[in-house]
This record gives sequence, C-alpha cells and structure tokens, in this order.
Amino acid sequence: MTNSVEELEDAACILIIGSNTTVAHPIIATRIFRAREKGAKIIVVDPRKTHIASYADLYLAEKSGTDVAVINGLLHIIIKEGWYDKEFVEKRTEGFAVLKTFIEEYTPARVSEITGIPEVQLRQAAEMFAKAKQSSIVYCMGITQHTVGVDNVLSLANLSMATGHIGKWASGVNPLRGQNNVQGSTDMAAIPNVLPGYQSLADDAVIAKFETAWGVTLPRKPGLTIMEMMDAIGTGGIRALYVMGENPMVSDPDIQHVKKALESLELLIVQDIFPTETVALAHVVLPGVTFAEKDGTFVSTDRRVQRIRKAIEPIGEARPDWQIICDVAHAMGAPDFDYASPSEVFDEIASLVPLFAGISYDRIAENGIQWPCRTKEAPSTVFMHKDTFSKGLGTFKPVAYKAPAELPDEEYPFILITGRDAFHYHTGSMTRRSKSLTGQINRCYVQIHPADAKKLRIKAGQLTRLRSRRGAIEVEARITPIVQSGSVFVPFHFAETAANVLTNPALDPVVKIPEFKICAVKLEKVA
Amino acid sequence: MDRLREGIRDALTEGPVAGVMGLILDGGHPRPHLFTKGRIEDLDRLVVGEARYPLAAVLLKVLRNDLDAHLGIVARGCDERAILELVRNVQLNGERVVVFGVACSSEQASACQCPQPYPSSHLSGERVAPVSDSEGLDRLDRLSEEERLQYWMDQFGKCIKCYGCRNICPMCFCTTCTLDEDDLIQTGTIPPEKPIFHLIRAFHMAERCIDCGLCEAACPSGIPLRTLYKKMRNVVTTRFGFTPGITKEGKGPLQYLGDGKFGEQEGH
Repeated sequence: MTNSVEELEDAACILIIGSNTTVAHPIIATRIFRAREKGAKIIVVDPRKTHIASYADLYLAEKSGTDVAVINGLLHIIIKEGWYDKEFVEKRTEGFAVLKTFIEEYTPARVSEITGIPEVQLRQAAEMFAKAKQSSIVYCMGITQHTVGVDNVLSLANLSMATGHIGKWASGVNPLRGQNNVQGSTDMAAIPNVLPGYQSLADDAVIAKFETAWGVTLPRKPGLTIMEMMDAIGTGGIRALYVMGENPMVSDPDIQHVKKALESLELLIVQDIFPTETVALAHVVLPGVTFAEKDGTFVSTDRRVQRIRKAIEPIGEARPDWQIICDVAHAMGAPDFDYASPSEVFDEIASLVPLFAGISYDRIAENGIQWPCRTKEAPSTVFMHKDTFSKGLGTFKPVAYKAPAELPDEEYPFILITGRDAFHYHTGSMTRRSKSLTGQINRCYVQIHPADAKKLRIKAGQLTRLRSRRGAIEVEARITPIVQSGSVFVPFHFAETAANVLTNPALDPVVKIPEFKICAVKLEKVA
Repeated sequence: MDRLREGIRDALTEGPVAGVMGLILDGGHPRPHLFTKGRIEDLDRLVVGEARYPLAAVLLKVLRNDLDAHLGIVARGCDERAILELVRNVQLNGERVVVFGVACSSEQASACQCPQPYPSSHLSGERVAPVSDSEGLDRLDRLSEEERLQYWMDQFGKCIKCYGCRNICPMCFCTTCTLDEDDLIQTGTIPPEKPIFHLIRAFHMAERCIDCGLCEAACPSGIPLRTLYKKMRNVVTTRFGFTPGITKEGKGPLQYLGDGKFGEQEGH
C-alpha cells in the first residue's frame, strides 16, 4: 500500500476494484465503512456483487477480465472533461501526451461494450473519483491474478497519477496483501528476480555489497517463479524442491499437473506447521513453529514492520524456521549461517537493505515502523511518494485491453471465478482445523446465477459437476444473483474438491502470476 | 497502587485467597494473569490502567475448573458489576470471590462513558463522577421507525460474524449458544441473518448487560452494539425497576419465568 490502513478512513472517495474486502480483509473493510459513514463515496468494480458492493454508492458490474478497459475508459472521460490534475501531471509525471493519445480510442461507447458497464455509470465513477479531494484505490487478487495482472496494475497507476490521487494522506494506490507476512517475504526477496529490498541483480555495486557480506559468488541470472518451477520439474531442470509454508497441492492452478510434477521429484522437502496435502507427498518433513512459538517480525500490508513475540515454547519437535534453515545451511557446508537470535538476523537485514536501514528491534518496539526508513533518525513512512516517486518522475505507461487466456465457448460455456469464503483462509491448512470455522462451513460450493440454474435445472443444494479442460469437481450449488449470468464462483479452500483442479495455469508474461480468476467450465447436474 | 499491591500480597500470603486475577505487564503489553503466592514477585508487574479485559469472564474460566477455589480479582467498576451479575446468575459463588477494587480516573471514565466508574470500595485511584452517555440512543430514538430500522439493518449488514461481541462479553457465560445453532440462524454466511442474529443477542443481554462497552470496542466492523444493548437495559430498568450490575439484591426479572427454580440450578 502506498498509504497506511488507517488513512482509508479519511478518504473522500474509495475505488475498490477486484477486492472482496469484507470477506478477505475485514479489518480494512471496517476502515472503508468508517470512511463511508463520514461521507466518503464508495465505488466498487467487480464481476460479482460482493458484500462491500452492496454498501457502494456506485457498483460497476464489469465483465470478468475487462479491468484495463474499465480504467482506460475512466481515464478517457477524465482527460476529455479536463478533470485530471494538471499541476500534478506537469510537475510529477512524464509521458502524459502519449497516454492522452492512446486513450482516445477508449470511448465510453466502446468501453461499455467491452465491459458491460453502462456509459452513464462510467461517467459517474470518473467524476466521483477524479473530483474528490482525496481518492484512494484499493485492489486485490481480482486485479493481479490475471494474464494481464501487470497491465491491470499499470492502468491503476495511470489513473492515480492522472488524477493526482497519490502521494498524499488518504490518497494513493493500495494493494491489499493476503498473508500476514507476504509483504515481508517479498521485501526479503522470496521472489526470483531481485535481492532483498528490491535491489537489482543487474547492479554491480549491489552484488558486490552482498558478495562481501556473505562471502559467496551470487548468480546474476534471475531464478524461476513457482509456476516455472513446476514446469521445470521432470524435464531435467529441477530434481529437488524445498517448500516452506506453502501448499501448492491446493493453491496452485491445475493441481493434477502440480501433483505429477511433485511426485516426479527425486527429493521433496516440506517445512510446515501442519500435515498439508503437500506434506503428504514429501520425502522429508521439517516441522516449523506457529506464530505463538516464535520471535521475529512480520511486515503488514502497509509496509509496517512489526514484532512477533513468542508466547509459548515450541511444541514437540517443531523449531523456528530460521533455526531450521541455518541447520540445513550448516549441513550443506555453509558455517556462516550463524545467528544467536532473530534480532541478529534483523540487524543483518538493516545493514544490507537501504529500505530497512534505520529499523531495529528497539525502534520497532510496540507500534512498528513503516519502510522506507533509511536512517536511524528517519521517521516511519506513513504514505509513499510524497514529493517524488522512487525513480523521480512517474511515467505513464499506456496499456491496451487484452482478452483473458481462456474464454467460454460452446463446450465450456461458463466463466469460472475462484476466490475466498469468509470463514476460511487460503488452502485451509490452518482454518479447517478450527472447530468454530468448520462449524460455519466445511464444504465447497459453487455460486450459480438464478437464470443459469433455471436453464440447467439445478436446484439449491444440489450436487453439481464443474468440468474444465484440466479436470472436474463435484460441489454443492448455491443459487445467487451475486454472480452474473454466465459466470460461476468457487472458493478454493477445500482440498477434497479443489477449485484449482479446474483453473488455467496461463501466466502473466512479466511476473508469471496464473490466471486464477478466469477459466472456462461447463456445469452438469450430478445424477 | 501500593495499597493495592499490599492488599493482594497480604491476601495471598496470609489470607485464604489462592490466586488473584489481574493484569500483568508482559513484553510491553498488559494481559490477564492469575497472581499466586508461589510467584509473589509477579506482583511487581501488576498494572491497572488503559487496557481492558473481561477479567470476570477470565476468572469464571479458571473457577469452572475448580469451583471451590477461593480467588480474588482486581476489579474496576465494570468488573465488579460483572461479578454481581455472575453471582446473581449462579455462575460464581460470591462468598469465594474477593474484590480488590480500583477506581477509574476521569479520563478512563469518559473514554468508557462509564455509568459507574468505581467498585463498592477501592484500594487504588479516586472516585470520579459517572459519565452518562445517552446521546447515541437519543439520536436514534428521534428517528422515525422506518429510518431506525434502516439504520440498524445497515449496521447489522456490516457484521462479519466473528463472534467478537459474544466472546469478549463478561456476561456471555452460557456453555452452548443460540448464535451457533444452524436451525435458528443459518451458519456459513456473512453478514449473519439480519436482524435476527443481533436481536437474539440483544434480548439475551436484556437483564445481563452491565454496560461495560467491551463488545463495541471488540467489534471489528464498528457496529454500535452498546447503543443497542443500552436500549434493552433502559427498557428493563423502566419496566422492572432492575438495572443489571447496579441493582444489588434480588433476582433479575427474567429469572422469575418458568418454574421459578432457576436460581437453584447450577449452570444454564
């Protein structure tokens, strides 16, 4: 998030796109409700009429996967009407002229045809967002989990820069991160193309710094993303895989392919807190500890580095992840993995990562510190890009609308959207062990629009088979107008009827995120 | 504070009290803790102040494992009101609970909008005047019935069914809960069926709610639950001359229902 969570309360307009906020980020939804009660306008763009959409001043029911067209359409109207922030565009950005020309063809009429959103609503949304004193964008996996995920994000950046709604209190671009520490693991480069703190593999000075600190020669080529790893297994590229706190047997697209890949490994090591579906395939299991049994830091969605404090001693053979990793490193002949405590690990982070350079356990204390924090004296960065963008001027990058990878056809006539249910988290490895949560729901379902259900003679509660080109699952039907006619929705938490048996492993060409949000399926009544 | 510590130390070392429920400062955060004779040094980290927990409910949890234990509790006005009702509802044995009273500061009283920011006697703090707040309720009462319904439906619609209101409530002592029953309120949906989910809870609060406000503080969705329960409390006070947590003697009005033997039964 470029802003802090608390700032959302003060926004005058919040554009929520591809985020089922109440269900997936309820605490952030609370801030949005508070903003609304203080008079903020709420715009929701989503192919499903989610809970938060029912609280919106304006709900734009887009067709799945047409976000770029929606945003380009809004930009078209905003620029045509002169509602953009001329001063911000002039002083803080570059490439506006190119964007302006590019956006010409995204007329309300054309955009309405692509997206299914009435022209009048596009105009209302454009005016609401552009003219409000402080507007914020909130987005989530509905934006990123597409073959055009990067394009979606770029178009949101264009919108925020054109309207000057970034770099201010309560005004910015705010992706909501899912796991408590997914921000932290990205910060620490649990991604294959950068070093910790988003430092470039192409920068000789950066490489020299890390090589000196670690006493090793670092590879200069980016590694593989998780989806590329799955493909590289069995083709001779990857023979062993070490999985930590991840359950690809439920969370990755096209699970049958994932299973074949994992089963063909010579060595699969899984480090987790519970025996997951992926643990079941492991040759070696390393038991990690839960949040209650460890010290360390988590970085929240608004870049806040926070302390986690051990409440109880590790149970059984479980050990903190950092100790397991150090021991594995020692066994592999790397004695320098030598730390007395998590705070020593953190000190090393601060010494090598400029974004974290001013942060220490002492300074984090009770309230946490938000990066960037480059010196011991620097304050927490509440919102980013105040006077300048990290690269100086913000560059508009016009993006064209592209259709999703797999659209419905005669054989597979429905769009399948996958996502979250309110009562479970991700692959259910934790939440499906909770009695109070499984007491609410412990079975998968498919949301079907009443008109489609009628046509297919599917009744509420009836077992329904969903089939895609990759597999089939049988789940209970929920008849609801939350989904559009022609679309169905399945939550992906339930391993025994995993939605990801169906999903398409087509990837965004840049960041290789799979298109979890759209694939083609057919529906059949189960006799 | 010193008098409080001394009082607890004396009771633990010389008196019959086996443990005292209070707040301990741990890693910079206060949390509930049972102070005992065996670890008397823990008393150095005893705190009272801003942090609030349903201490009476935590005490009840301890006592459920050992009904005859003789325990104490560091009690603010709200905690003592909770104990009074837990005793009236035959959950705690009043003769075995010793109260170490703490009077709240005027800042605390106004932050909590507390109707009685002090227990019957206290070892720490000074008595300050109650802060009565009926503003939210008055505002709603002035609305038309239709507007009021719309307001509450809108608020109930924000509920994510986390059960935080019930789980934090010192008066939610039942061991089974209507709000978990699929036959009464459909499970597995958010918001939970409205308005029934919240109205059931409101009715159950009628002669119990001690107006501590922990429910509203716990609610992640910002539903003004306290205002709702205040309404129930007002109705019970007006109709029956009974105010939970304040009326010292006798049964609650709903305890007279049924065969009249409620007061003799253990549990609920």
